Amino acid sequence: MSKKAATNAAKDKLREMQCKFNPLSRSDGSVMYSQGATVVIAAVLGPIEVKTQNLSIEGSYLECNYRPKAGLPQVKERIREAAIRDVLELALLSEAYPRSKMSLQVQELEDRGSTDACALNSACLALLIGGLPLKYSFAAVHCIINEQGEFVLDPELNETLRQQASFTFAFDSVDGNLLLVQTKGAFKIAQFNDIECICRAASAQIFDFYRSNLAKYHGRSAENDSSSTDLPMET
Amino acid sequence: MFMNSNLFEPGKSKSERTFVQSAVKQNIRFDGRKSNEFRDVKLTFGADWGTVALSMGDTKVLAQVSCDIGTPSSARGNEGTLHLNVDIKGVAFLDEVQATHDQRQLTLNSLLERTFRSSRCLDLESLCIATEQHVWCVRVDINVLNHDGNLYDASTIAALAALMHFRRPDVSFIEDEIRTYSERERELMPLLFLHYPVSVTYCVYKSSTQPLVDPTLLEENAADSIIVLSFNSYQELCTLNAGGTAPTNVRTIMQCAHGAARRSKALVQFIRKALELDAERREQPMQVFGLMDLLNETAPKLSFKYLMEEEAEVDHTPDRARVIEQKSDVEPMQLEEPVPQAQMQTPKKILAETTEDDIAWLPQEQPVDEATPTAAKPGKAKPNRAKNKGGKKQQSQTTKKQNDSDSEEEVTQIL
Repeated sequence: MSKKAATNAAKDKLREMQCKFNPLSRSDGSVMYSQGATVVIAAVLGPIEVKTQNLSIEGSYLECNYRPKAGLPQVKERIREAAIRDVLELALLSEAYPRSKMSLQVQELEDRGSTDACALNSACLALLIGGLPLKYSFAAVHCIINEQGEFVLDPELNETLRQQASFTFAFDSVDGNLLLVQTKGAFKIAQFNDIECICRAASAQIFDFYRSNLAKYHGRSAENDSSSTDLPMET
Repeated sequence: MFMNSNLFEPGKSKSERTFVQSAVKQNIRFDGRKSNEFRDVKLTFGADWGTVALSMGDTKVLAQVSCDIGTPSSARGNEGTLHLNVDIKGVAFLDEVQATHDQRQLTLNSLLERTFRSSRCLDLESLCIATEQHVWCVRVDINVLNHDGNLYDASTIAALAALMHFRRPDVSFIEDEIRTYSERERELMPLLFLHYPVSVTYCVYKSSTQPLVDPTLLEENAADSIIVLSFNSYQELCTLNAGGTAPTNVRTIMQCAHGAARRSKALVQFIRKALELDAERREQPMQVFGLMDLLNETAPKLSFKYLMEEEAEVDHTPDRARVIEQKSDVEPMQLEEPVPQAQMQTPKKILAETTEDDIAWLPQEQPVDEATPTAAKPGKAKPNRAKNKGGKKQQSQTTKKQNDSDSEEEVTQIL
């Protein structure tokens, strides 16, 4: 009985989020982000030199890649890439660096449900840590309607096997506007509105997570920096 | 405005090259390692079978093994296939630099191909379902996450660990129909190996006779030549890749081979141990595991130094006991079961002898001493360097030692 209550409680909660900043040394900003058992790495580089064919005088060119852990990128990955690029084009202040390129790479490490949302959230964190100009930060939330007609927020992979409909929403942090809506399956408009409200509420939790982790990282790195700058001086 | 793309990698500029060359001459490495010291290797196994994340200093790779049923090649109808693919395009930002003509991916792929496919490390015949109709096609994808030198070793270790970790579903082929059993119906099957190869990389510089093992990106880019040796756990050579411009004498290569053979054996042991620990962890119910361990600071780390230190301790204790036993007639320790222990020891002794025989064709590794470069060029050596730390004393000792080892080549090298 208590176990059932626990699973019920988990249905309207996000899975535990964890992140690690700058695990990679060669990018301007990188983050390893996990939501439950789903783990992704996102890395940004920019603004950098752009090939002439992609050069734009209006703003920077955005390159966005999503890599699966097995095999070459297929249609599924391309769709995911397109979703990330759509949101980034809205959020990035590309006018700040014309004639340049911003590159974002997302590498899937483990896919255990709501990978779309995870990839977007990690992309946002990578842009924030990489210091790329943004109009606002954004957060994505995944939610499904399961066979029993219940709403499951941030589902596990095995929960998504039997679903009526699946939704991914992305919200901005300033006005709370919708940046991305992805739906799959059959649902009523009332259900859609309900789920949008649930996801909006959950996105606030993700923004809090961003804020607390970035504060923690910068707070801690201030101490680390002073010690690490000493090292090269010695050698 | 933008970073020059060629300077994006460390070790490509002339000043960096001269810096590394002069450091090597003094037997100093930028990260404080000795010339024959490796970086620590850490493995993290994913929740799925065949997923391994490996880190080696700042070099990080992810290996994933997958398989599906396909048709065999016409030449080898009774064998499954093994396909290896290295991807350096993703988060490592390597293709950012030399757009299309980058040799790195090609060399890496060909090295892996030679190490695993040409050496026939997998028993491909066991992957056959129906001759000339259906076989298992095993695919290894290696995603480079971060490149800080020595991608060769990182990718071969990760690939081997992933292949050893991987389990494939069982199938039956009855009346022209393939049936794949799910995990619940039949237990998943591990791949069968004939031997376990891993590679070890050395960098050779014109300024020094001492090759550097496990180079960082800075050292690798500044190197005059790079030697990659793949050995299996039986200390048999699987791949040798030597290129570059530094003239390397036979002795150096043999010395590298000797070190590489020992290292490969230890690495395979380490992978086996890590796999055992992972299997133990999987058996515990309600345990969450997977690649999120990379984020979790409290998660158990499967690192080479940690696991093999234990191993060394375990190995040494019986040795010591044996020595004491041989020296004194009376047994010093009252052992509970002396008879089985004696039985245990005899095969172990034989094993030790045979392993020594295995590497008998390899010369003993040259003792690494700080004084060698100063001895090689006495005129140029800084006097204060030799004076402090009793450098002269060390020098004379080492030359004596080398004379004792009756190798003529060693002596000539010093002269």
